[in-house]
Formats: sequence, C-alpha cells, structure tokens
Amino acid sequence: MHTTRSKRPGEDIFGLATLAVSIVLLWQSYEISGFSALSSPGSFPMACSAVMVLGSLLVVRDNVRRNRQATTTGDRMPIITLTGVIFMALILAYALLLEPLGFLLSSFLFLMAGMMLLYRGGVVKTLGIVLLALAIIYVVFRLIFQVILPEGVIPERQIMAALGNLFGGAR
Amino acid sequence: MEALQYFLISWLDPWLVFLLAAGTFAGIYIGAIPGLSVTMAVSILISFTFSWQVNDALCLMIGIFVGGVYGGARTAILLNIPGGPSSIATALDGYPLAQRGEAGEAIGLSTVMSVVGGFVGILALALAAPSISDFALGFQPRDFMLLAILGILLVGSLAGESLAKGVVAGAFGMLIGTVGLDPLTAEERFTFGMVQLWSGISFIAVMIGMFGVSEVLFQLRHMDKVAVKQDLSRIVPRWSSVRKMLPLSLQTSTIGVGVGALPGVGGDIAALMAYDYAKRTTRNPEVPFGQGAKEGLVAPETANSSAVGASFIPMLTLGIPGDAVTAIFIGALFIHGLNPGPMLMIEQPHMFWFIVGGLVLANIFLLIFGLTGIKIFTRIVEIPKGILLPLILLLSVVGAYALNNSVTDVYWMLGFGVLGFFMKEYGYQVGPVILGVILSRLIDENWRRAIISEQESLGSFFANMLTSPLSLVLFLTVIVILLSQTPLLGHARRALSRAK
Repeated sequence: MHTTRSKRPGEDIFGLATLAVSIVLLWQSYEISGFSALSSPGSFPMACSAVMVLGSLLVVRDNVRRNRQATTTGDRMPIITLTGVIFMALILAYALLLEPLGFLLSSFLFLMAGMMLLYRGGVVKTLGIVLLALAIIYVVFRLIFQVILPEGVIPERQIMAALGNLFGGAR
Repeated sequence: MEALQYFLISWLDPWLVFLLAAGTFAGIYIGAIPGLSVTMAVSILISFTFSWQVNDALCLMIGIFVGGVYGGARTAILLNIPGGPSSIATALDGYPLAQRGEAGEAIGLSTVMSVVGGFVGILALALAAPSISDFALGFQPRDFMLLAILGILLVGSLAGESLAKGVVAGAFGMLIGTVGLDPLTAEERFTFGMVQLWSGISFIAVMIGMFGVSEVLFQLRHMDKVAVKQDLSRIVPRWSSVRKMLPLSLQTSTIGVGVGALPGVGGDIAALMAYDYAKRTTRNPEVPFGQGAKEGLVAPETANSSAVGASFIPMLTLGIPGDAVTAIFIGALFIHGLNPGPMLMIEQPHMFWFIVGGLVLANIFLLIFGLTGIKIFTRIVEIPKGILLPLILLLSVVGAYALNNSVTDVYWMLGFGVLGFFMKEYGYQVGPVILGVILSRLIDENWRRAIISEQESLGSFFANMLTSPLSLVLFLTVIVILLSQTPLLGHARRALSRAK
C-alpha cells in the first residue's frame, strides 16, 4: 500500500480512535443477535464492522511503518486554526438557535457573524450582502418550494397573511 | 406510423412543449440545490397535478426528472456539493476542474454528454424495453447482492492514497446504512434505545455533511487563497473534445442503461460504476483521476442520464419502479387511471410512445438550457470565500432541515461534516462512505433473502450460485475485481515469473 502524503498532526491518534470505534461497533453488532443465524439482523453489521476492524488495523500498521521510516516532520500546520474553531462554534450556535429563534433571525445572525469573521468587508456592505442573500434564499425555499422552516420569534405566517390580505383587499 | 404519431403528440402541442421546457428548466435548478431532490419535487408536483390531464402532468414530471438528474452536476462541479446522489461521482473530478478555472468547460462538457447519455437511454427504452425487462426480471436476490458487492468494490477506485482507508470508510458507510429498525424483522440496530434512530440516519444529511460542510471547514484553512478565475470564453465544448470523449460516453451509457433498467437500482450506482469503468479503462488520461480528469466527469454524467430513460423500462413494461422517481411516476399513472405493467404496451401503446417523445424533447431542452445559463452559475465560485463559505453552510443547513422538517438532520449533517473534515485531512476519502450507505440496504436485504431461501445453508447457496449462469458471471467478476485491487495478483505474477 503506497503512501505519498506526509503525515499530519494527530494522524496516529485518529487511526487508533478509528480502530477503537470499529471494535466497539463490532461488539455492538454482536449484541444485536449474536451468531444465531446467517440471516439474523446482526449478521451483515457484524461482517461490516469486522472488515472495518481489519482495515483500521492495516491503517495503524501503515502509520507505525511511516513513523519508523520518517525522515522529515512533514506538514506541521495545525489541522484547525483559531478562525476554524470560532467558525465551528458559530455553526454549533446556529444549529442550537435555529428552532428557538427561527430561520430568519438565526440565519441573519449566523451570516453576519460568519461574514464579519471571514470576509471583513465592513458592517454596511456585509449587512447588504446578508439581507440580499437571505431574501433570495427565503423566496426560493420558503415561498417557491414551500419548504417549512422554523418560525421562531418572528411571526412569519401572520405577516404573510397580513400581506396577503393587504393585496387581496386592494384587488 | 402510429408510433410516430404518438411520439410527436408532445412536440406538436405548444402547451405540452411549454410544460416540458418549464419542467426541464425548473428541474436543473431543483437538482442543483442540495437537499431539494428530484424525488421530492416530483412527489410535490403530483399533488398539484391531480386534476390535470394525464399528458400535461407527465410532461411536467418528465421535464423535472430529466433536468433534475443533470442539475445535480452543477453544484458538484462548482461547490463540491452534489445536488443529489447521482452526482456524487461527478464531484470527484468535476470539482478539481473548477478549482483549475475550467468550470465553464466542465459544465459545457457535462451538459453535452448528459444529453448523449439521455438519448442512449431513450433509444434503449424504445428498442429494447421488453427484452431488457425480461432479463432484469430473472434476477435472484443473490444476483442483486452480487451486483451491490460489485458496486462496493468501487471503493478501490475511490479510496485515494490507501486502499485500507477506503475499506474502513466503505465499511463505516455500510454500518451507517444499517442504523435503525431492521427492515425484515424490525429489530433495533445501533439505536442505543433512542426512538429518534428507529428510522435510521438520513442518507442525504450524511451526504451534505460529508461533502458540503467538510469542504467548508477544509476551505477555512486556505482562506488566503484567491478565488480561482473561471475561464468562460468557451462554454460549448470543442468538437474535438466531444469526439474524443464520445466512445467513452457511449460505453458508460451502456452501463447506465444496464443498471438503470434493474428494478430498485438507479442513476447513483450507475454513475459510480461508470466512473470506476472509466478509471480502469482510460490509459494515460491528460490529468490523473481525482485531480480533474475529463473522463471522470463524462463517465458518471452520461451514465446517470442514460439511466433516466432506462429506469422507465421496468416501470412501463413490468409496473416495477426503476428508482424512487419512477415509483412516484407509477403512482401518478394510477391516479390518472392508467395501469403500468405488461398490459400497458398492449392496451395503451400511445402512452409508451408519448413518454418516449417527451423524454426526447426534454433532452433537447436540457441541451439548450444547460449551455445557456452557465455564466451566472459559474460566477458563484468567484465570490470571495468569506461570503461563499457561510452561504454554503446556510444552504446545507436549510437542505438538511428540509428533509424531515427536523433539526435532528441538521445535527447529523454537522456531525458528519466535522468527521468528514478530519477524514479528508488524514487521507480518508468520503466517497466510499456514501457508496457504503447507498449499497448497505441492497446487500443486507438480498444476502438475507438469498440465504433464507437456501435454508441457511452456505453450501447450497454457493452451489446454486455456481450453477446459475448469471450469478456465476457476476461472482467471477467480483473475484477478478477483488483480486485486481489487492497486492495478491501482483505477488502471484511475480511468483510465477520467478518459477519460470
């Protein structure tokens, strides 16, 4: 098995973690129905997890071999930068706030914070881009494709109904 | 002559032409948006078209189907987010092409080749429908299992730097596919007592996470890189490029037809098999596969488009859906008082030729819309990353939420996104994971059906497999591909040459 890429920080740990997870999955697969029958619900998961354990062992073996052969330190650039950590935290906050705040407000806050972090193009310009993008996404998904999105604190349906009455009344 | 009359119905009625054009146009954009699937669009359309004439309803749905399968390639090429499962293989070389500034040519080539594949599929539907259906009907559960195993062996092509890592990723994908209640016995598998896991993990959430979110996280480390300027001077591909790719596209169209005509197997598997075929048979590609090989773009695109026409074969001749979308088509035909199956071609041949005519026209519209709307679409990748990355993530979240109107799918998507990011960083490809999820159920169910029918006897399972010509061919193909992917064959060759 040839390897061309230099090793990355944490690759050994990831390989060992994969092996540990695959062993746990093998045990969990066995717990489904044991070796009761070839057609049992656990037979296929057991076969898959056994293959995963085998593959993980080979990966760990390759990592050990590469450690022995390594003459250079390889790519030592950290896997996650500070910006990455902050952005991941923003994504998590967005997912958690999606239902309580609703799609519009949580998406607005996420896009503003995300673009301020990554784009740094000034508040007014970012605000304009965010509002435009949000309006397009809302029209496409919510109004055209009728995708139900979390409403949250903004009473969208009442606003839409009021707008509908307004235009309906004008006719 | 009568067949031609029926064929031309949709061509001569301006309203039907409009519906086909509108459907194809809408399908391209629906297919391009991750999370908005063609299946979803067609099923929503059914509720709108209850009261329509059957011809009107079919034209709109055919247009959406044809456009949607193609549309998934656009976001796969531009953003590395396949619009649907049948575009997963397209992303493998399409996205690297866009990273090299060749998004315009990539989309142009994929459009033309999709249309070529589409026509091959329609030709197969028109000429070989009854015989192909008879062949597919003879498949035993073990044959479906072997076919799915053939599919999973593609991890060798998708594995990247290490076969072992590809195997780990593929097995992990298959395990994800088994989460939930067992479809045969309703026993819980990997649910850990949580009711929310009974229905399993949404495949689309895994796909959006592994491809979309992981790519966003991956790109965060390379924020300083300037957005690649896309060459849009030529969108209509050169005739020399088309001519060069034509033999491959015709061969992979055949794969698309063969796989698409099998009940329950759709364009997604056809595209992956075609990609594998192209990788195996292309000698000295201009650019290596996985780094922007045009062959890697053309093969899956022709295969998934040819599978569209072929998926109508079992539906119209046997009443068995070729894939999820044709299952909805069957529902629509029933609603309109038609009975798809062997009697349809005898009692209502006009319906068969009407659908064939509609498919041809939809492919012509695909060529027109596919080659004209690229510039705006391609500009997307030139947007600064600081703006584009939060927007991709927002689209991914909306797409995942739209699956079941549930934030749980969003959490799954994000979880698999983070996992996919680490996998990519450590040299594990995410393609095999998706392949595993897709094929897991097909292998699991058919293995168990096959072994139950043999009274749990492995001996008679293998004996029957070796005496059935179809099973034997599939089994030998599996063995040959398996050996070609492991060092065993090389060791054996060296041992033989030493012995000589």
